[in-house]
Amino acid sequence: MENILEIKELSKAYHGVPALIDIDLSVKAGEIHGIVGANGSGKSTLMNILFGNPIVRETGGYQGEILYRGRRIHPKSCGEAIRLGMGMAHQEFALLPDLTIAENIKLGRERTWKFTDRLFGPKYSFIDRKRNAAGAAQVLHQLGLDVDVGIKVINLATNTKQFVELAREIDRRDLQLLLLDEPTAVLSKRDGLKLIEVLMGMSQAGLGIIFISHRLEEVEHICDRVTVLRDGRVVSRYNKGEISISQLARDMIGHRVNKAIAPARDLNTRPVISFRQFSVDMPGEELKGLDLTVFEGEILGLTSLSGHGKLALGYGLMGLYPAAGEVIYKHQRIDQMDARANIRKGIYVLPDDRQGLGILPEHSLADNIIFTGNQVKNLFAKNMVRPFGFLDQKKADLHVGQLVDELEIKCASIKQKVRELSGGNQQKVCMARALTVDPKLLFVAEPTRGIDISAKEKILKLLIDLNRTKQTTIIIASSELDELKRVCDRIAVLVEGKLFKILAPDSPEVEFGLALAGEQGN
Amino acid sequence: MKINAQDYKFFNIEIVVPIVFLLLSFGAWQFSGLSGAFVLNQVIIRFIRDGILVLSLVIPVVAGMGLNFAVIVGAMCTQAALLFVINYQVAGVAGILLVIFLSIIFSLLAGLAIGYVLNRVKGKEMIVTIIIGFLANSIYQLVFLVGFGTFIPVINEEIILSRGIGVRNAVDLSMYRNTIDKLWLFKIGEIEFPLFMILVVLLFAGMIYYLLNTRFGQEIKAVGSSHEKAEIAGINVDLIRIKALILSTVLAALGQLVFLQNIGMFDVYTAHMNADVISCAALLAGGASIKSAKIRHALIGVFLFHTLFIVSPQAGQNLFHNAALGEYFRSFVAYGTIAFALIVNIKHEDKRLVVSPPL
Repeated sequence: MENILEIKELSKAYHGVPALIDIDLSVKAGEIHGIVGANGSGKSTLMNILFGNPIVRETGGYQGEILYRGRRIHPKSCGEAIRLGMGMAHQEFALLPDLTIAENIKLGRERTWKFTDRLFGPKYSFIDRKRNAAGAAQVLHQLGLDVDVGIKVINLATNTKQFVELAREIDRRDLQLLLLDEPTAVLSKRDGLKLIEVLMGMSQAGLGIIFISHRLEEVEHICDRVTVLRDGRVVSRYNKGEISISQLARDMIGHRVNKAIAPARDLNTRPVISFRQFSVDMPGEELKGLDLTVFEGEILGLTSLSGHGKLALGYGLMGLYPAAGEVIYKHQRIDQMDARANIRKGIYVLPDDRQGLGILPEHSLADNIIFTGNQVKNLFAKNMVRPFGFLDQKKADLHVGQLVDELEIKCASIKQKVRELSGGNQQKVCMARALTVDPKLLFVAEPTRGIDISAKEKILKLLIDLNRTKQTTIIIASSELDELKRVCDRIAVLVEGKLFKILAPDSPEVEFGLALAGEQGN
Repeated sequence: MKINAQDYKFFNIEIVVPIVFLLLSFGAWQFSGLSGAFVLNQVIIRFIRDGILVLSLVIPVVAGMGLNFAVIVGAMCTQAALLFVINYQVAGVAGILLVIFLSIIFSLLAGLAIGYVLNRVKGKEMIVTIIIGFLANSIYQLVFLVGFGTFIPVINEEIILSRGIGVRNAVDLSMYRNTIDKLWLFKIGEIEFPLFMILVVLLFAGMIYYLLNTRFGQEIKAVGSSHEKAEIAGINVDLIRIKALILSTVLAALGQLVFLQNIGMFDVYTAHMNADVISCAALLAGGASIKSAKIRHALIGVFLFHTLFIVSPQAGQNLFHNAALGEYFRSFVAYGTIAFALIVNIKHEDKRLVVSPPL
């Protein structure tokens, strides 16, 4: 069969960090080509390049060749990719919230009046809304959804949006290559099967499909070929019949040299904090009824695929997003998710959004380190009547100086703006702030995201040291599984905002891969 | 699986604001002691004068750029075109056609420039258009106060100040006055309907309605809904925004032309002032918000807003024996409407986050 798409030695780097390295990939007409990989393995980057997402061009373009129907292409905008006959169902949906379902499905190919077509051309021809609505309803019906197509998309539930997103692509007559990014992630099993049925029908009619999914079972079921990506490289490729879920899971996670390691130990099982039916309404990362008990003095890893809730726990506890459910901390119920009150009680959260929430970028390193400690616990105030407690500059500088040496923060002076530091050093500043507050319970989200390897190890080492010397209980939410395995005493895997399984850090890779995908291992 | 459209739309801005205006105008009319026929005649005249200017605001709102306060740039383009044509003494139909042609060219270029600027300040369009309006105003003043007689040769001495530099405050448009205003004039009792001009305004309304219901219009709506999503849906967002702004500026220029010829003379330095605020307030009075505007909001809004505008000074005179109070009330109404609409809009945003229950 003829190749619709052929990618040769495709490479892409964001700000010097490689995201894709020498990717070779081809998709035949009528083929469903699966792509699997952990978070950060380069799947989204690959899709962005193929679909002409402007971000690719803004960050310096890519190297390599893309052949589409034998012709070399260089998509510069999504519009160009669409005109070539490509379609994409985005994981976060490319739906216009204020437009109705019908308008979204038919956008760009609305049916118009013939008379005004002749008069002004198709672009300025009057739209026949009735026929569009009927057409849209028909496509949705194919997918098993009967819905008033006059509803605005903003009012729809996520799974309905997924149907609309797919209906938009399925409705296209000129479609030759369809890119699907996690099309079934938000669907129930039954709806997912219906969708797969439609997809298989379309591929038999000659459509090429790239299918990205974390549901390995589906990949095994429908894909003609599967390519596994890890750290921006193609690690393996299987044809239909050779695909096995456990092999895919192993390839996805991979093996790496272990570095900072916390030795295994026996834990006491005195709970320090427990969550009962804890829900956090963080858009795109909802927690839906988490039951989790954290033991005193342990390091607990918290992992999930993106969007399954691992980041929401800390944010919910700090009151940044509306939360519901019961939290018992040291035998006391926490009624109000209030950052200030909780910091006083000894709970501290270092968020994953370092630039937005973790640092005060325009302030000095010293200000950043003492900020929370001084504001909430009044640690560096001179002895005066409360609101007039001036900052004790000497005490603060001494403290900051010590921490800078201890954590090896590389800076020109402690008065340097944090914005000017590297990512790794910014993270160290965050850690220093947490150390200043001296919490009993520390949440860290994605502590090693976006920082180089040596700084990563230092941060992890710091966390271990903090835990071992001060008996601080630490919860690390991270998608870096191998890091969690080295550092944690237990690792909790979340699926769809709920606790799916708690695994020991020395459990085999396959088990993690299966748990992350929501599959009960045998 | 079956979902029905929700109707939680009672008490939204679209209904509340026009009703408040209706009640206010009715109350003020009662106190003003003006005859209904007089008010209606005045409202019809103002509907014609202001209608196209208000309509010119609709497209930028739909494109997600909020209220385009830079419509006064369009107004200034027309005034500049008029002054040039009067200066070169092109009279009659040729003169009118030349004014139309020049104002379209000027406003097209101005719209293009403003569009480019607004693409660099996405999300802050409204404040930027206000400042652009101020800036353009000072350039305009400079050209006509200093430029005429220095680097622009004076041909028509009548419009120049006696010192030989700068244009006079008031320029007569008598050669164009009432040429088209009285066309097809109908009278029902005491009420005059200049049918032709009403149809002109409605024609513009129809054109914008048509445009918003084409594929181009869908693209404008898509861009207004979300830049990022429109971009990945394959729409050239920046281009659409520029086109929307050009359309708005050109319409504003034509609107100002209708406005000026209806009045019959114009204050060179002040005629365009407040064109933005009053048109924006009129649009909002009709039930539009800075996120959504429809043709009917513009048409209803012009009526409601100008009714209040006409009766309020007289009502102030009768109630407090002070006509100036009514004048203050006018500007209170104009700015108050805009402020109210901006605030209500934010509350509106919160409500929109309500999501239907899952299937």
